[in-house]
Amino acid sequence: MPRNSIQPAVGPETTAIRLPRKRMSKWELYSRRFRRNRPAVAGLVIFAVLVLFAVVAPLLARYDHIELDFLNLGEPPSGEHWLGTTSAGNDTFAQVAIGLQRSLMIAVAVSVGTTVISAVVGTAAAYFSGMFERLTLLLIHFLMVVPTFLLLAMFSNDSGGDWRTISLIMILIGWFFPARVIWTMALSLREREYVHAARYMGVPGMKIVLRHMLPNIGSLLVINFTLGVVAAVMIETGLSFLGFGVKIPDVSLGSLIGSGANTITSAPWLFYFPAAALTLLTVSMALVADGLRDAFDPTSAAGGRA
Amino acid sequence: MIVVATNLTYFLAWGFLDPRNNYVGRRPPLSEDQIVQLLQPRNLSDTVSLLERWWSWFSGIIFRWDWGVSPVGQSVNDQVAYRMWVSAELVLGATILATVLGIALGVYTASRQYKLADRIGQATSIITMNINIVVAALGIVLLAIGFNNMVGTTVFFVTGSASSDVTGFFPIIIDALQHLILPTVALVIIGYAGTHFLQRSLLLDNINADYVRTARAKGLTKAQAIRKHALRTSLIPVATQVAFTIPTVFMGAILTESIFGWNGMGRYFLETIAKNDIHGTVAIAAFGAVLTAIGALLADIAVVVLDPRVRVS
Repeated sequence: MPRNSIQPAVGPETTAIRLPRKRMSKWELYSRRFRRNRPAVAGLVIFAVLVLFAVVAPLLARYDHIELDFLNLGEPPSGEHWLGTTSAGNDTFAQVAIGLQRSLMIAVAVSVGTTVISAVVGTAAAYFSGMFERLTLLLIHFLMVVPTFLLLAMFSNDSGGDWRTISLIMILIGWFFPARVIWTMALSLREREYVHAARYMGVPGMKIVLRHMLPNIGSLLVINFTLGVVAAVMIETGLSFLGFGVKIPDVSLGSLIGSGANTITSAPWLFYFPAAALTLLTVSMALVADGLRDAFDPTSAAGGRA
Repeated sequence: MIVVATNLTYFLAWGFLDPRNNYVGRRPPLSEDQIVQLLQPRNLSDTVSLLERWWSWFSGIIFRWDWGVSPVGQSVNDQVAYRMWVSAELVLGATILATVLGIALGVYTASRQYKLADRIGQATSIITMNINIVVAALGIVLLAIGFNNMVGTTVFFVTGSASSDVTGFFPIIIDALQHLILPTVALVIIGYAGTHFLQRSLLLDNINADYVRTARAKGLTKAQAIRKHALRTSLIPVATQVAFTIPTVFMGAILTESIFGWNGMGRYFLETIAKNDIHGTVAIAAFGAVLTAIGALLADIAVVVLDPRVRVS
């Protein structure tokens, strides 16, 4: 710390001069506000460890997740199979790692897709107003009445368990609710002076939406993205648990829990490990979202001063 | 909206489900004629054109309130009428409990903002809210089995909604409770946290308002002032949210019902898709849409009841 870092009182009665102070950049402020929220940092660390596990563990594992070890059927955790084996002889360690990887890929793909679509559609509807706005809102309200989980189950049951198709369907069914929220946020943005100024300068409509309106709801979008990851993991798990999602030989955390549920008393390790991975994943993402919300919110008073 | 959505689901269901698949691999194999003979009287045969099928299905609903039959000939009306109450038994109880618990916790933690109790409450709620319902339900099953083994008798039943061999008024109630308690606990654990967070933040917005200070100044204790003045204002959005979540909870009980083996709407939903039961699937979609409408209506009623500024003519 430099010697003269304490600012003496400045005013007409004193001769003290104002010390030059280094301004804090916006991102520095955000990251400092985020770091002061200890649960959020813990969430970020847990999430990073999970991602690392999903990437590295398949390389370390002694067995492939499809490989069957006929000498060890339904064995509890041991030195040979770190997290035990299934009744068919699959290595649970490799399965959990691959399943986590698959669940993460689906969750991130879905969350990116829904965030991008909902942001563009929501702000564009607010900016262009008139006919386009009315049509978009009509579509959104209609989709709200349609039983989406039913459609999701029918589509993905039909898709044969390919995770890319499942992600695509989840994006198509998940974008409209956030779009509605973003539309309400963007309504006040379209009346701002800088939007008017850009319009009268002759900036094309879509460019105003992308360059001037979207960055101003950026913090909301980041939070939406993290919460979207949680929601996508939940839905994907539900689908795979019921057997409508990812199908054998591909595994996800949901399908692992689903097969572990059948042997929950005789082979509980098949349930414990995927369930623990899943809980850590969703809880850590929720903590991160909570920390981001506090960091971005200028009125937030949670957890002391910035 | 409901009518349009239901009809759209009818066509979508025909696009993805084919009742003919139920007869694939049957031993001895059924001939084409036999399949058509089985399906045609149930309005499920694709030899009739889609528009004609749609009209006889739709007119059946309009004129006779007949939602059609499944591929094996069970009436959809009977199924829904029976299963609706099984689901309601589970879902309504769980929703009420979760709401009461959420509001109570919200009030308790908001009046002790940033104290230890508040911190612990927040941390617990953020964890329980993000545990997957599957994990929660299976964890509860494990605990209950452990407890049953420890006590030596079956205190909690982990499957089914009722035992068949119980007679008498009180034994039936006790038996129902033994079945009900585990799935309800699972749903409450997942569901209460949302209400808790909403109630807490809304009450914090109101707790320092002028009218609460006035109430304190005229001699009410802090607890009275919060309960009679601040809580009433901040209950309105909570009530709206709870009313709107009723359809979601009903459908969200799919996983709970399939884990605990309840024959409710959620189970029915899975069965209809697995058995290519088009009429059943569409009936469930319509049921969900009606629940959404009821939720919206309940939300309006709740606002009128709670907010004295809203007058109904």
